[in-house]
Amino acid sequence: MAESVIRLQDVRRYYVMGEFVVKALDGVSVDIKRGEFSSIMGPSGSGKSTMMNLIGCLDTPTSGLIDIDGENTAGLNETELAYIRNRKVGFVFQQFNLLGKLTALDNVIVPLLYAGMSVRERKQKAADALERVGLSDRLYHRPNELSGGQKQRVAIARALVNNPSILLADEPTGALDTKTGNQIMELFEELNSEGRTVVIVTHDRELGMRCHRQIRIRDGRLEE
Amino acid sequence: MLIENIKLAFNAMRGSKMRTALSLLGIVIGVASVVAILTIGQSASQSITESIAVGGLDMITIYPSYGQRTTGTFTEEFSDMLIRDVEGLQTVLPQNNSSARVRYGKESMNASVAGVLSDYGSVLNLAYTEGSFFSDMDNINRRQVVVLGSTVAETLFPEQEALGQYVSLFRNQAKSYLVVGVLEAKDATFNLSYDNTVFIPYNTYGQRFLRTSGVGAYVVKVQEGYDTIEVSDRVTEYLDDIVGTDGYSLFSPATLAEMANQITGTFSAFLAAIAAISLLVGGIGIMNIMLVSVAERTKEIGIRKALGASPSVIRGQFIVEALTLTILGGLLGVALGSLLSYAVTNLMDWSLHLSYASFILAMGFSMFVGVFFGWYPAMKASRLDPIDALNYE
Repeated sequence: MAESVIRLQDVRRYYVMGEFVVKALDGVSVDIKRGEFSSIMGPSGSGKSTMMNLIGCLDTPTSGLIDIDGENTAGLNETELAYIRNRKVGFVFQQFNLLGKLTALDNVIVPLLYAGMSVRERKQKAADALERVGLSDRLYHRPNELSGGQKQRVAIARALVNNPSILLADEPTGALDTKTGNQIMELFEELNSEGRTVVIVTHDRELGMRCHRQIRIRDGRLEE
Repeated sequence: MLIENIKLAFNAMRGSKMRTALSLLGIVIGVASVVAILTIGQSASQSITESIAVGGLDMITIYPSYGQRTTGTFTEEFSDMLIRDVEGLQTVLPQNNSSARVRYGKESMNASVAGVLSDYGSVLNLAYTEGSFFSDMDNINRRQVVVLGSTVAETLFPEQEALGQYVSLFRNQAKSYLVVGVLEAKDATFNLSYDNTVFIPYNTYGQRFLRTSGVGAYVVKVQEGYDTIEVSDRVTEYLDDIVGTDGYSLFSPATLAEMANQITGTFSAFLAAIAAISLLVGGIGIMNIMLVSVAERTKEIGIRKALGASPSVIRGQFIVEALTLTILGGLLGVALGSLLSYAVTNLMDWSLHLSYASFILAMGFSMFVGVFFGWYPAMKASRLDPIDALNYE
């Protein structure tokens, strides 16, 4: 049996809104192994975004334990969480979230910058990552000169470049047409077949079903 | 990382040129005024010193009080005593001053009359358009000879040479004096106006012109290599012992120059402090633009945080941005301030003395302003919640 890359144990995330307590996640336990291709599915408001933010270390749970790549994240400070986001998690967003003033290459370089890599090394690594997603001829284009599919490929290259343990994608095809979306999904499938752990967060049933494992969530709890 | 941050800063500035220019202006004006005020102040005090120096920075003049002139202390021989007893004096020349009506033909004017020794001309480095200074023999023999200041010569002899002519000096009674020399025009300082003065031998003055035995003043030349201010302090000490502080007064251009420098120094420091306040106001402008910059780039900050930027990295990015702004503003300000100083000193006909200390001071202060006013916006950026920042539109 492969080791766990993501392990949630009885994780709760409550928000206090005035007099109300919103239980966005209410006791979720999940174990995702290395090399798995999973989807977290659920309608909007189900808590899947909260779950993604917790896995990605953008947020911390009200209670419960989260291990990322064997590391317990409880009690880590902002700087330590930033380190995990930088080294262990690769984010892919629905709206790409590229930095508009930077070229494709410079966008992919950003995570390497925070990893403290030398200029030459990060240029090489970023170029390799862009080649991996089929954009070696677009290194010096800015986001506004790229199509939606190309932008998402840049975003995937950026997510991959630090060789993270998890590829975490939030509605990665949501802003793309069907054909382009398909190509992006094929890229994820390829990356998974190379051994990467991929987690796709989506409300789209069809997309979720393309993953090998479905984690369904509703009202902050897992549906079995 | 620093290089990337500086690049980012320039990117951000390019992104909002007008806004950047306006907030830079605050720093530029602040730095420029500090630099200009200090530089102009220094140039002014330098030119004051230069104009005082015309009177001879190595000269000291001692004026015995009226009451002391007949007590027998201040005699011609006192000169030798002074040289002997006070270290650093080269020559001490006694002289007497008053005024008289000077006439040649139909022309006449009121002029100062100075009774001086024959050394006076060489000690004060006087230059002549006609003739030369009178001789020691003229003095010993109490001859009625005169050296004219340039204005006197021009007034009495508008169209002819003065040399060899007789002018009359009228004081109680008129007496004729032979003109033996005419001085070149010489810049005047304070109460010394060479151009309006006629010089006659010391003995002639005392025995024929006014019949006085006292000495009106001693002109002292300080030995080379001695500090005039120190020597004049020693002279003061010496005279205080003999006649008391009320027995004489002492005047030296060097002391005056020092006083003038202190005054302009204090004055320009005061003005620079006011200018520094405008720099502080410029800093508030920087804080303002930085707050806008942070608000505008909330999404970017969210993305960077998601990609692994720690709070200190984000803080560093925005502090470097504020610093880049203020350094740029500082450099422009130094350039503008120097230009301004150049224009003003040129206009006032002073020589320009760039104050490098003011460059460093102004740059340092504007960098301090950058860090100080950049800190709060940078802290604000670093503390943004990554999820909120990511979802910011």
